[in-house]
Amino acid sequence: MKAKVQVVLCRCCTEMPALLNMERLQKLAAESNNVVSVMTVDAACGGKDLGPVINEAKEKEIDRAVVFACHKKDISPAIVKAYRRAGVNEFLVEFVNMREEVVLPHMSEPERAQAKAETKMKAALIRSIMLAPLERQTEEMKTRNVVIIGAGVAGQAAAHEASKAGVHTILLEKTGKSLKAPGIIMTNAQLVGASGYGGNLQLKIKAGEKIEDLGAAAVVIATGGGWTTLKGPLAKSVKDAVPLYKFYEQMQTGSVPKGPVVVVDTPDPAGKTMKVLDYAWDDTLETTIELKKKHPETQIFVIFQEMRAFGLSELAYKEAAELGIKFVRYDKGGAPKVDPKNPGVLMVKDFAQGELLNIRFGTLVFASIPPNEDNKAIAEALRIPMTMDGATRRGSIQRWPVSTPRPGVFVCGSALFPKSRDVAKAEGAAAGAMAGEFVKRGRIEFGGIVALVTQEKCSACLTCVRTCPYEAPFIGTASKAEIRVQACQGCGMCVGTCPSKAIELHNYTDDQIAEEARVLLGGDF
Amino acid sequence: MIVAKRKPLNEIAEMLAPYKKVTVIGCRSCVAICLAGGEKEVKMLVSALKVKNKKEGKKQEFEGFVVERQCEKEWIKEVEDKVLGTDVTLSMACSLGAQTIGDMYPIHLTFPGLNTGIFGVPEEQGVWSEKCVGCGNCIIHTTGGICPISRCAKSMLNGPCGGSADRKCEVNLEIDCAWAAIYDRLKIQNRLDLIENVTPAKDWSTSHSGGRRTYVREDAKLTPHQKKGKEAVQ
Amino acid sequence: MAERRPKVIGFCCEKHGMDAAVLSARSGKQLDASVRIVQVPCTGRVDGIHLLKAFEDGADAVFVLGCLEKNCYYDTGSIEGRKRVGYVKQMLTEVGIEKERLEMFNSASSNAWAFPDAVSKMVDIAKKLGPIGGGERQ
Repeated sequence: MKAKVQVVLCRCCTEMPALLNMERLQKLAAESNNVVSVMTVDAACGGKDLGPVINEAKEKEIDRAVVFACHKKDISPAIVKAYRRAGVNEFLVEFVNMREEVVLPHMSEPERAQAKAETKMKAALIRSIMLAPLERQTEEMKTRNVVIIGAGVAGQAAAHEASKAGVHTILLEKTGKSLKAPGIIMTNAQLVGASGYGGNLQLKIKAGEKIEDLGAAAVVIATGGGWTTLKGPLAKSVKDAVPLYKFYEQMQTGSVPKGPVVVVDTPDPAGKTMKVLDYAWDDTLETTIELKKKHPETQIFVIFQEMRAFGLSELAYKEAAELGIKFVRYDKGGAPKVDPKNPGVLMVKDFAQGELLNIRFGTLVFASIPPNEDNKAIAEALRIPMTMDGATRRGSIQRWPVSTPRPGVFVCGSALFPKSRDVAKAEGAAAGAMAGEFVKRGRIEFGGIVALVTQEKCSACLTCVRTCPYEAPFIGTASKAEIRVQACQGCGMCVGTCPSKAIELHNYTDDQIAEEARVLLGGDF
Repeated sequence: MIVAKRKPLNEIAEMLAPYKKVTVIGCRSCVAICLAGGEKEVKMLVSALKVKNKKEGKKQEFEGFVVERQCEKEWIKEVEDKVLGTDVTLSMACSLGAQTIGDMYPIHLTFPGLNTGIFGVPEEQGVWSEKCVGCGNCIIHTTGGICPISRCAKSMLNGPCGGSADRKCEVNLEIDCAWAAIYDRLKIQNRLDLIENVTPAKDWSTSHSGGRRTYVREDAKLTPHQKKGKEAVQ
Repeated sequence: MAERRPKVIGFCCEKHGMDAAVLSARSGKQLDASVRIVQVPCTGRVDGIHLLKAFEDGADAVFVLGCLEKNCYYDTGSIEGRKRVGYVKQMLTEVGIEKERLEMFNSASSNAWAFPDAVSKMVDIAKKLGPIGGGERQ
């Protein structure tokens, strides 16, 4: 079937005609192959002018359109919706940014801008004819389960928040501790495998000795930090050193710690295995304040590289100092170490005064929380990325603070990096809310601009499988790559990397991109 | 699998300089997987040579495509007219592919675009390390699954040499001492007793040192009765 | 003799890359008109083939503009883009073409300067090095 293109030129109120010759552009469009309608509107962004455009589109049985206006993101939703009424496939409506690419940046060069506009028009029309109609699809979520891994502070907050959205929460806790939380609680349960995609995941849960299959729509990782692990040279040199949370628990049972109590930020002060981020400032302050109030006669020192008591916890810092807790800052050049001649003494160079201090200690506490060892198994099962020091990596701190790159898989709390209980709780609630909102929709939308494999060309090299952040490509039963369209985000990374050019991304195929580039380079301006 | 890498482009360009019409043939098998000679690399090579010619004001005609497996005659036969109709063929397959084309069409010129290579294991995406040199007599069951012929610089058979230090090879400190690795492996397998066995000097006749090798399955060979086309004729 | 106008083409991702370009235009930044833009969903879509073909088709300088690597909309797309650009730069060097003709840039969508800076840098290179093969433009 022959393509029938409608060209819409937007005047952008008066901006376009002020610089460009609209009549020449209209003429050029009208004379181009396959163009059966050329219309001009005053402001495509206004939405008001679209009536006559759509009427003509219906009359002339247009199957595709090219709109010359401004930034696609600002105008496409309304225009695409309008064209749908005329039966035009949404992926056959192209937008060319004349305003921000041709008019606004070249205000003092009308001739060159005109030549550039005409070249862009030529390229866009050639591209339009090369495009194919694409379809979006939806799929029902088979379950409304949000599986939360870890029933700590963050996990429980996630369960509470997610259940508010009316979804089923299933809390997996690897220990046998008793809990109270909404939804189903599975103790002695761990995630050992996963397949599928966000909205329809198939999980394998090890509950006790059995392995169970569990369908889920979303997963929240709330595995927390490695609370009781101490890794590092300083920990090795002190026999009875205790992690902060264990120390806190012992305090609650009423036992009196042997003073002086010295809290060191990390058992690896020279920073070879852990970054200084890996300790919980808030909880250190909270614990030492509680201790000092209970046992005012006990000397307490806090040895640290950086004190990141942010926001209101600065007041805790102030309170701790006023209570007489001594804060000693060091840098890597004067890192604390145990006195080789006297194992009960910690030597550290005070950064402020430059003096070497010898601090006698009765109890040595480490405030560090290395990443949880469980993170590795979970990352392997869900195929999500980790940071180099063993924490779960999130998508982007700016846009996805509680999500992994995989849609439907969220992460919160100290599984990301150590944080105080209050912050972990807030993050848990955030992840729970996001998971709940995602699952509440009941269905996933996908398709349109997605990758497609031509299996005869595939070398099964696994490059696409390894490159995609979304677990969309997989090697299927034909021993060739296939794309799980439900997971494909349409970025085209796999297409660009495939050594056998077996994958294409519609409507950004190699030919389409190359042809557009060629025509643009052919213009003289 | 066989791992190869593309020759430097200036070397390839020099090889092809005297010829007007060049046909570049890649392969969809090993060299595609090790990112050296698949369709993408073929297209990029052709494009780069065209850009070079643009710079130097030269004119050459290029065509590039891939075949499924360049070392199989049937797949080369499918593109016979492309080979016969060109001035030179540049093979972007391993040398086996380049030689297969050359052997089938001996008068025509077929040049290698890649340097082959190693039997390489993909340690991670983009990294292939040699773990076998095809000695023809595998003994890794006695060394915990680690090959001392390929992974030891001296192919020692009875423990490390005197230069091994801190679990590293004296030839190159980046390389782990294979025998340190073998020791560790046998230890976790509870088979350290194997280390104490004396392995006699290696019979290298099964390796390339014994000359060019041919592996034959007599039962798989086609009898002259079975062969098709002109293959049976002596 | 007609003035030789440089030909610069940029492959910009539809997310932060184009956002940066649009923001710079809306902020009133003026650019050399020689620049052409091809929009791609993600710089990870850009193939070395496209970059080399652009030089074949007359580009004097080519750039790729994507999201900042730690904030890529598609997580690792601009990392892939950088790798593609790096590989083609190496190929250009091997065939005796100046590798400065090809460059990778990253920007946040809120940066109004990144796009004009990238364009002016590449236009300067295109003017300095001239067309590949010298001579008049076809």
